[in-house]
Amino acid sequence: MSPQKREPEGILGNGKVLRHGKINRFVHWIVALSIFSLIFSGFGQMPMYKRYMLVDVPGMAWTGDYALTLTLHYLGAIVLMVVVAFHIFYHLLRREFHIMPRKGDVGESIQIMKAMFTGKDEPPSHKYLAEQRLAYAFIGLSIIGVIVTGMIKVYKNLPGIDLAESTIFWSTTLHNLTAMMIILGIFLHLAAFLVPANRKLIPSMFSGQVDAAYVEHRHSKWWAELVNKGKYKGYSSNRQGTVNSQHRGFPK
Amino acid sequence: MSTLNRRSFFKRTALSGIVGATVLTAGKEVLASPSEIGQVGTLIDLTRCDGCAHEHTPQCVLACRQKNQSRFPEPEKPILDYWPHKNHEDWSAKRELTNRLTPYNWTYVQKVTVPTASTEETDVFVPRRCMHCENPPCAHICPFSACTKTSEGVVVIDDKICFGGAKCRDVCPWGIPARQAGVGLYLHGAPKYAGGGVMYKCDLCIDRLREGKAPACVDACPQQAILYGQKDALLERAKARAQEINGYVYGEKENGGTSTFYVSPVPFESIHQAMVEQVVDGKPGLPAMPVGVGNAMDQANNMAKAAFFAPVAGMVAAAVAAYRTMKGDE
Ligand code: HEM
Ligand code: HEM
Ligand code: SF4
Ligand code: SF4
Repeated sequence: MSPQKREPEGILGNGKVLRHGKINRFVHWIVALSIFSLIFSGFGQMPMYKRYMLVDVPGMAWTGDYALTLTLHYLGAIVLMVVVAFHIFYHLLRREFHIMPRKGDVGESIQIMKAMFTGKDEPPSHKYLAEQRLAYAFIGLSIIGVIVTGMIKVYKNLPGIDLAESTIFWSTTLHNLTAMMIILGIFLHLAAFLVPANRKLIPSMFSGQVDAAYVEHRHSKWWAELVNKGKYKGYSSNRQGTVNSQHRGFPK
Repeated sequence: MSTLNRRSFFKRTALSGIVGATVLTAGKEVLASPSEIGQVGTLIDLTRCDGCAHEHTPQCVLACRQKNQSRFPEPEKPILDYWPHKNHEDWSAKRELTNRLTPYNWTYVQKVTVPTASTEETDVFVPRRCMHCENPPCAHICPFSACTKTSEGVVVIDDKICFGGAKCRDVCPWGIPARQAGVGLYLHGAPKYAGGGVMYKCDLCIDRLREGKAPACVDACPQQAILYGQKDALLERAKARAQEINGYVYGEKENGGTSTFYVSPVPFESIHQAMVEQVVDGKPGLPAMPVGVGNAMDQANNMAKAAFFAPVAGMVAAAVAAYRTMKGDE
């Protein structure tokens, strides 16, 4: 048997569900921070801040210094790569694949979006909606792309390293492309929170908790898993909450 | 490469300033293509250059202009300003300038008067152009990879890809590339808001090199002040020459190493000083010669090791964290 692993997620006693443990939240926010810094220093690698006069804003003159923004870009890249490698290996080792896309996710996403407009019921979801799994795949693959091409760029910048012109051209072009994909991904990610139904998820990246009623209703498959786990794996303190929330008759 | 070409190349080797038939040979045959001798370079011997004192324009400058004439920019008028700035770089009405770097003049000869050891003054003529650096920041940081270093060690800007952001000029210790607005790729985008034209600079006549010829300026110089050949051999030669005249070499260490080696009888510190004092209009195109100047990529490159190690660090941390949480004490 594999060692017993403690799931940080679970139904809490206060009518909430712990959706994201500390480690997930930490990873999410460090990734977000490093990516925002990389976007800023990356755009600094395009000759933009001089052109659009950011350098003339008091206190921002440093943004026109390419050697400095490049160093900041390297710093952001190092942080991002540590955390991304951590994320991948942590969940591989723990065998947690809730967020990996599954067969039929595209069709299911369309169904969910249709439901949004028609007011019909959404298909029952696991921990993540199909469109969240797709969003994860899109953002995740773009990040891997930006890292791989970025590493080629770091390597080629070393003294004494001369890569073929075509390698350099393609790594640059794909770096720029994957960077734009990430920016698009973040934009869509944030736009998703314009949909009221999704806003219930926002606290999950801060306190880690979302309303149990929300989970039961929208992520019913995950809810069932959590309830089961509570019954059979002996979550004594949580169990109370499970029973309570069921008894309180949250809307279906 | 046909034998005929090789033979004519050999002849030219003997005639012009191409250095070291020895370094240009492999076995018995003279090689015609620089790709077969590795990295190429030039040696500029300031004891030989007299600025073509009796000519209206230095021969190297003339040869360069003639050779590259067809590649000079023909901007579309009217040229837009670089919004939100109220200016743009346009040299098209000043094509005749030969005393500075412009998009229409990729090499020039700067005359400086410097004190010598014996307190007399001496005139030094310094042919200037791109140094073709070993680790060129202009190429490394080009966001479109329009500027690249070829396998011959020559740094070239592709005028079809260049967007004219002038970043290459900003990170070049000598501010070499020159910008012309109103030409290039950016015209097809939003020319008012993004892009600035195309950057132009010496490409060491890469097309001629690949045909087994020397750069046009090398062939044109009546004094054989500019030598062309295998880079390492030229550096040796530059050092030997410096020793011979009790002089100095510039270009070996600067910007992390270049493939252009100047040999001078007077210290480059004095030449630099004189150039700084001479440059008056504040525009790029009249570079000085800072001795031992560093490379804009140095600081970032110091972090490269950490970058390569980062994924490993993340993996190790993941193993530790996963082990601890799976034991049940997150
Ligand atoms: C660089 C920026 C960011 C990246 C790359 C990123 C990426 C992700 C990814 C891949 C997920 C999981 C899949 C999903 O829910 O779509 C996620 C979840 C989440 N993100 Fe972000 N994010 C970023 C910024 C932000 C910001 C600024 C917020 C602020 C509101 C935010 C709030 C959330 C929330 C609340 C979740 C949890 C959703 C859930 O529990 O299902 N993210 N993020
Ligand atoms: C969200 C993440 C990132 C974004 C949005 C981003 C964006 C950019 C942009 C816009 C540029 C300027 C254009 C260019 O030169 O290609 C750039 C340059 C660069 N990026 Fe990134 N980047 C990211 C991550 C990374 C990572 C992870 C690395 C390294 C592993 C990296 C390495 C570089 C390097 C070395 C350059 C400098 C230009 C060069 O050397 O060719 N970037 N980045
Ligand atoms: S001299 Fe300037 S433009 Fe020429 S290769 Fe070096 S950094 Fe680039
Ligand atoms: S390098 Fe030769 S051609 Fe150029 S100015 Fe000097 S003497 Fe004349």
